[in-house]
Amino acid sequence: MTTEQENLEQTTASSVGMALLRVWRGVSVPITAVLLAVVIGAIILLVSGASPVAAYSALIKGSFGDGDAVARTLEKATPLVLSGLAVAFAFKAGLFNIGAQGQLLFGAIIAAALGFGIEGLPAIIHIPLALFGGALAGALYGAIPGALKTYTGAHEVITTIMLNFVAINITDFLANGPWKDTSPGNIVARTPKIAPSAVIPEIGNVPLGFVLAVLAAVITWWLLWHTTLGYEIRTVGLNPHAAEYAGIRVAWITILTMMLSGLLAGMGGAIETQGVVGRYQPGFNVGLGFDGITIALLGKTHPFGVIPAALLVGAMKAGASQMQFDAGVANEITDVIQALILFFVAADLIVRWILRMRETDEEKITLSTGWGKQ
Amino acid sequence: MKKRTALLTTFLLLLALLLVACGGGGEEPAANEGSTTTTEETTNEEATNEEATNEETTTEETGEADCASEEVFCVGLVTDVGEIDDKSFNQSAWEGVKRAEAELGAKIDFIETKDAKDYATNIGLFADNGYDVIVTVGFALGEATAEAAAAHPDIFFIGVDQFQAWPFDDDASNDLPNLAGLIFPEDKAGFLAGALAGMMTESNTIAAVLGTDLVPPVVAFKEGYEAGARFVNPDINIISTYHPGGLDVAFTDPEWGASTAKQAIDQGADVVFGAGGKTGNGAIIEVANHEGVYCIGVDTDQWETVPEAHPCLISSAMKLITPGVFDLISAAKDGNFPAGNFVGEVGLAPFHDFDSVIPQEVKDRLNEIDTGLRDGSIETGYNPGG
Repeated sequence: MTTEQENLEQTTASSVGMALLRVWRGVSVPITAVLLAVVIGAIILLVSGASPVAAYSALIKGSFGDGDAVARTLEKATPLVLSGLAVAFAFKAGLFNIGAQGQLLFGAIIAAALGFGIEGLPAIIHIPLALFGGALAGALYGAIPGALKTYTGAHEVITTIMLNFVAINITDFLANGPWKDTSPGNIVARTPKIAPSAVIPEIGNVPLGFVLAVLAAVITWWLLWHTTLGYEIRTVGLNPHAAEYAGIRVAWITILTMMLSGLLAGMGGAIETQGVVGRYQPGFNVGLGFDGITIALLGKTHPFGVIPAALLVGAMKAGASQMQFDAGVANEITDVIQALILFFVAADLIVRWILRMRETDEEKITLSTGWGKQ
Repeated sequence: MKKRTALLTTFLLLLALLLVACGGGGEEPAANEGSTTTTEETTNEEATNEEATNEETTTEETGEADCASEEVFCVGLVTDVGEIDDKSFNQSAWEGVKRAEAELGAKIDFIETKDAKDYATNIGLFADNGYDVIVTVGFALGEATAEAAAAHPDIFFIGVDQFQAWPFDDDASNDLPNLAGLIFPEDKAGFLAGALAGMMTESNTIAAVLGTDLVPPVVAFKEGYEAGARFVNPDINIISTYHPGGLDVAFTDPEWGASTAKQAIDQGADVVFGAGGKTGNGAIIEVANHEGVYCIGVDTDQWETVPEAHPCLISSAMKLITPGVFDLISAAKDGNFPAGNFVGEVGLAPFHDFDSVIPQEVKDRLNEIDTGLRDGSIETGYNPGG
C-alpha cells in the first residue's frame, strides 16, 4: 500500500507545481492522443475530398452549437460515463469486464419493465425504483462471471463476452415475447412506453441522468480511495497473491467488484431507458457497453478521467449527424477518430516518444491478471 | 529541469485551451435559455461566445436557404441504422428519391443513421432546413416519423415499411394529412417465392436463411414463403433459420448466412431463399458454389445487385420500393398526397438466365397464384399484429 499513499502525501505537501506536474503526467497522454487523432482525422478528411474545417466546425456545432446540442452531448455521454466507470472499476481489481454491454442491456430492460409494469406511483418513488431495479439487475448479471472466476477459474474476459450474447438474446426474446408492446397495430419488437412517473427529466438542458452519472463517478472515487473496501480492491488488483497473504478475501472481492461493476453498467442502461428512449427496444443500446472500454482506457481508468473521456466521445456522437448533413462527411469518420484515439492511448509508447516522457510504474494500467485462482 | 519547465508550459497552455473549450460548452445552455426567454443576460465573455455561434448559424442558414424558399423542392432521406448502398431497402428507397431529382428537379440529400436514438435528430436536421418531403426508411423510425409529422404539418413525411394508418396517439380518426406509410405485403412476395421453390425442388427440401425475427417484414417473408411452398407441395420439408444475433449484426453477417445456407444444403435443401440484407446475400452467394442448388433473392431484383449469385439465382421476392417512394414524392409535389397507409407493389423478379430452365407449367401456376393473391381468393395466412 504504502508507497502509493506516501507518494500522495508527499505530493500534497510539496509545491503546487509538483501537483500540477503530477496531473499533467496523468492527462498528457490522453490529450496528446486526442490531438493526434484529430490531426490524422483531418488528413483522412482531406484525402477523402472533404474540408476538415467544415467537418470539424459542423461536429462542434452539432455537439455544442446550442442548448439542444449540449443536451444531446450530455445525453450521449451519460451511459458512456457509467459503462466507462464499470470497466474502470473492474480494472482496479485486475478484472477486465467486457460484459458491460450485457449488464447494461439487463439494466435497461428491467428498468423498462418496472417503468411500464407499475402505475400510479409518484415520480419520487417510481424513478428510483426503476433505476435501482435496473442497476440491481446489472449487478446480479455481473456477479455471474465474478463467481465463475472465483469458483471455477474461468477467465472473466471469456465469460463476459459469452454472457453478452446471452443477454442480447434474452432481452430480444423478452421484448419480442412476454413484454412486447401490445398496443393495437404494433408489430415492432419493443416493450410498452414506461409510465410518465418513471421518466427521468431534464433540468433545463442538463439531463438529470448525467448528474446521476457524475454522482456515481464521485462515489466510485470515494469508495476506491477512501474506504477499506476500496483499498482491498486495489490491493487485489495489484497482486492477488499478496492480498490473499495479507488476509484479504480475494474470492469475495472478485465477486463484489464484478457486482459493483455490473451495477454501474446496469444503471447506465436504466438511465437510457428512463431518460432517453422511454421504453426498451432492441437495437437501441448497441455498443454502449463496448464504448465503456474505450472510455475507461482514455480516462486512464480513473473515475474522474472517465467523465471528460465520455464527454469527448459523447460530443463526437452527438455531432456526427450534423457533420454528415453540413459537410457531407460519412459519420464513420467519427468512428475512425475514436479508434485512432484509442489506438494512441493504448500504444502510448508513441505518444511518450513524442512527449519525450519516460514511463513510470504508477501510470501503468493493470488490464487483467491471470487465469482465476492459481 | 529545462525539460520540466517546457512540459509545464505546454501543460498550462493546453489547460487554458481546455478551460476555454469546457467553459464554452458549459455556458452554452445558459446562453441559450437566455435567448429563448429573450432576457439576454449574458456576461461579456459569453456574449462573444454567443456571437460566434450566432454567426455560424446565420451563415449556415444562408447556405441552405434555397430549401426554405417556395420554388425549390427539397427531398431528404433518413436511413435506418445501416448504409445507403446496402443493395437492399435503404438503397431502393434512395433510388426513388434520386428519380425525383431527375424527373421532378428536386434537390436531394440523405443522412445515414448510426445510432437508433438519433432518428428524431436526423429527421429534425431536414425539417429545420426547410425540406419539403422527408423520407424515412425502416419500421423502426415509425414513431419518430409520426412525431415529426405532427410537429411539422407543412412538411410531407413518407415512412417506408411503416404502418402509419393510425397516428401515434392511437386514435384512428385523426390520420395526419402529411404522413404516409409505404407498406408492402411481403408475405405475398414470399408466398410466390415459396411456390416457385416448392415446384422447383427435387429433393423435396427447401430452406430460408433469414435476418432477425425482430423485424416484421422478415417474418412476413418467411411466413409467406413457407405457406407458398406448402400451397403447391403440402408434404414439403422446410428448413427456416433466423439469425440469432441482435439487430446490430442480423443484417450484416454474410458469413453466418453462408454457413447456414451450406448447412441447409448438407441437409438436402436444393432451393435456398436468402432474406436479410447482407446476411441473405451471403447465403445466396454461398449457394452459387453448389451445383444443382437454386437460390432466391429478396427486396430488389438481386440479379442486378448481387452478380455473384448468377449461377443459382432463379428469381427474387421483390418489394417495389423505388416506384412506391417516387409515386409518393410526386403526389406530395402535386398536392394530392395520400395520408395513412399506402400499399406498394410486390412480385417476383424476372427469371433472367433461368427463363429456359423453369418449365412453362411452373410459370403458368405462378401467374395463377399471383392473380389469386391479388383478388383475394388465395390467402397467405399471415396476420401481423393480431
